[in-house]
Amino acid sequence: MTPNSPSASAPSRRSFLASTAVAAAAVAGGVPLLTACGGSENKDREGTTSGKAADKLLPTFVASKFADPDIASKNGSAAGYTGKVELSALAASVAKPLGSGAPFKVMSPFWGSPPKADCAYYTALDKAAGTKVTWQNQDGNTYGQKLGAVLASSSIPDMVVVPIWELVGKISNAVTAKFMDLGPYLAGDKVKKYPNLAAIPSDSWKMGIFGGALRGIPMPTASATFNIAYYRKDVFDKKGYKVPTSPDEFMSWAKEATSAKAKVYAVGDMSWTAFNVFGVRPSGTLGWHIGDDGKLTYRIEQPEYLEALEWTRKLFAAGVVHPDDKARSGDAGQRFTAGKILMYNMDMSHWYGKTAEQAKSNPDFKIEAMDIFGSDGGDPQLWASQPANIWSLIRKGASKETVENALAAANFAAAPYGTKERMLVDYGVEGTHYTVKDGVPVKNDQGNQEVVNAWVMLAAPAPYFAHPDYPDVARKQVEWEQRMGAFMKKTSTYGMNIVEPTRYANLSSQFEQLEIDFVRGNKKLSDVQQAISTWKSSGGDKLRDWYKKLIDKNGSGN
Amino acid sequence: MSLTAGSRPDGTRPAAAVEEPTAALVPEAAPQKGAAHKVPWRVRLRRDRALILMTLPAIGLLVLFNYIPLLGNVVAFQDYDPYASSNGITAIFHSPWLGVEQFSRMVDDPLFWSAVKNTIVLFLLQLVLFFPIPIALALLINSVIRPRVRAVAQAIMYLPHFFSWVLVVTVFQQVFGGAGIIAQTLEDHGWSGFDLMTNADLFKFLVTAQSVWKDAGWGIIVFLAALAAVSTDLYEAAAMDGAGRWRRMWHVTLPALRPVIALLLVLRVGDALSVGFEQFLLQRDAVGVGASEVLDTYVWNMGIQNGDFSYAAAVGLVKGAIGVCLVLAANKFAHLLGEQGVYKK
Repeated sequence: MTPNSPSASAPSRRSFLASTAVAAAAVAGGVPLLTACGGSENKDREGTTSGKAADKLLPTFVASKFADPDIASKNGSAAGYTGKVELSALAASVAKPLGSGAPFKVMSPFWGSPPKADCAYYTALDKAAGTKVTWQNQDGNTYGQKLGAVLASSSIPDMVVVPIWELVGKISNAVTAKFMDLGPYLAGDKVKKYPNLAAIPSDSWKMGIFGGALRGIPMPTASATFNIAYYRKDVFDKKGYKVPTSPDEFMSWAKEATSAKAKVYAVGDMSWTAFNVFGVRPSGTLGWHIGDDGKLTYRIEQPEYLEALEWTRKLFAAGVVHPDDKARSGDAGQRFTAGKILMYNMDMSHWYGKTAEQAKSNPDFKIEAMDIFGSDGGDPQLWASQPANIWSLIRKGASKETVENALAAANFAAAPYGTKERMLVDYGVEGTHYTVKDGVPVKNDQGNQEVVNAWVMLAAPAPYFAHPDYPDVARKQVEWEQRMGAFMKKTSTYGMNIVEPTRYANLSSQFEQLEIDFVRGNKKLSDVQQAISTWKSSGGDKLRDWYKKLIDKNGSGN
Repeated sequence: MSLTAGSRPDGTRPAAAVEEPTAALVPEAAPQKGAAHKVPWRVRLRRDRALILMTLPAIGLLVLFNYIPLLGNVVAFQDYDPYASSNGITAIFHSPWLGVEQFSRMVDDPLFWSAVKNTIVLFLLQLVLFFPIPIALALLINSVIRPRVRAVAQAIMYLPHFFSWVLVVTVFQQVFGGAGIIAQTLEDHGWSGFDLMTNADLFKFLVTAQSVWKDAGWGIIVFLAALAAVSTDLYEAAAMDGAGRWRRMWHVTLPALRPVIALLLVLRVGDALSVGFEQFLLQRDAVGVGASEVLDTYVWNMGIQNGDFSYAAAVGLVKGAIGVCLVLAANKFAHLLGEQGVYKK
């Protein structure tokens, strides 16, 4: 259950400026010029650490077993718990609270409206973990802006949650500069003091290495995590639509299903699905890969990149995309539940979220995930997600007591499924936040209001799906990941936390906006091609050399 | 729309002052012009002590929040790395100097020029299509005699000002969007394809219309205040002389409004490079960067979004410098027309 995987909030991470690459080109010689400014300190912040060097930094892995999953992980999927949990028989993962009760502050992204600082959920969790956390919850959609300013201030909160998609510009460098090396507390056997942290897979821990030191406590992600095209199963069944299995089928289905008169449009913005269908790699460091021809390329250089964009553009041009999605106004998820669109892109969290949300008001509502097909209608080529994409970090200069309390909190949040701690983190206090009906916990209003984000952001156990109230959803989620995981490959940069030199920080920032503009017909194909060649000449080729050296030195991640 | 934001509170004061210079504000010791200069500053200090003390808190805030942050503009001449030191301020001393590098980057960036072009076009459009509307509305409201009708009409006109841009854009989307009320009605009658919200060519008119809808009602406040100050004697005298409705407006009402109009115009011109921000940010994806990027969003993207603070500061600095020149020029122009303008030497 990854509460907020990157794709969920991807729209917020919009790299607005279409001009950066051009601007960088204007500096022409700007690259060497800025190199000179990098200074020697920055050198240590760049690059990655892998292999034996990384192994030395990692905590020892000690598996913890409280409940065996009903469906084991396969093909990079999460594990699934579909059986009933005996709530009264839950065990504690740690005998007594690890925290000493010394207060510390945590800044974390929050999607929704945060509860009061002294709410029952926070109080109960503090008591159980032996901590005293002051939550500084910040709007998740604009978190990056806040983070950039906070890191530049002299009062950084003791613990800060940093999602991978906010590591743009100079922020990834700042993480190394501002957060402490947790090695003295966690490396090797030291982690055994925190059994739940010790049970986090080593691959995920490896992603927490910034600037040659273990700094981030990871929230593990299943590598078979892909953006999903959800469809209205109930409407498909009623109308007799067949779920498309090729781009052409998709197009003809979309045309058939769209009726402006009936206020029904086939789809929302399907850009992410298009990238998956055509095998385009994710943006960021995962976008770099050495192909079968031995050439190292970035995602925008893949021929499939333009094909995927072109296909999405055709959908827009055909008028099968809801006009509000074209204008990027409002919430596609709501249009989906209202039946205004029949398919949309979102991360895994909506499968359960929408099912639970609609159960009462719309009993017919059925949401399912379309199997991703290849561009020729055959098997798709999917790219593995990084094994961790959110970290919590502790500021440099924090006292030993603060660090130990922060780790105690993280350890609590990382409790595996089937423990008292997990139940408390996910559901709150029985009677206050949830009631048990037929052995199934159901959150009440207070639970829905207070038991959101916060604690789950600090750390997480190995990926799993479990929805005691809708076990079927958990099963389908795991099965979908396993089916899709079979078509998954890892890029050459997989599993490495790579910090690019700051001089390339804004090189690719224009593409997200360019994609948005192109598929809507507000930019021409030649604009995209021009941007790609500008990207190459204004630093992309140099960045390629940099990656080449990095992969030569560290070995390929796949 | 910044017409309403910036100018309102200050706007009313000079208008009143022109009509009837109040005794409280004009020192008794200075009945004639120029006499004040002969009084030694120490005497003046003692005489105005109370007034000076009263302005101190405001000046303190101004210095703290407006003048001191101005010093931060030095990063425009650097490659500023806010994380180079323990905090963002000392980081200035650890960031390398670049000279005018950032400014030449700006000059060479076609997107900067596209933002400038959009900004100027929008400013001119707003000047022509927006600026006169509050004046016309104020005249209309002023001609309503029944206070009840007048209050209700005014309240209805003010209301949209209190809506956030998010709401305004959403309302427009629901009415003029491709799935909006109008499109739906047309669809029912066999016309399809109406979508005003994603039309890049009409975008400039769309945003001006949004501004008018949201802020024109609010903009009338200043003019109504000026109109309230016009003595009814003048109307009566004009009516006695046989002036009709139009002549009274032309010879009494409009001359009374002239100083306020000139003042607001000066302020608006000085603010020419700020045509709005949220409005454009919210609608950028609908029409694309080419149509929606204005200077303020450009600076925001560069600085806040991309973390390229030095470059953003450079662009902001240029924008500020041009703004100062525009205010000075417009003020001068107002003086040439015989108006008070924003200030006088």
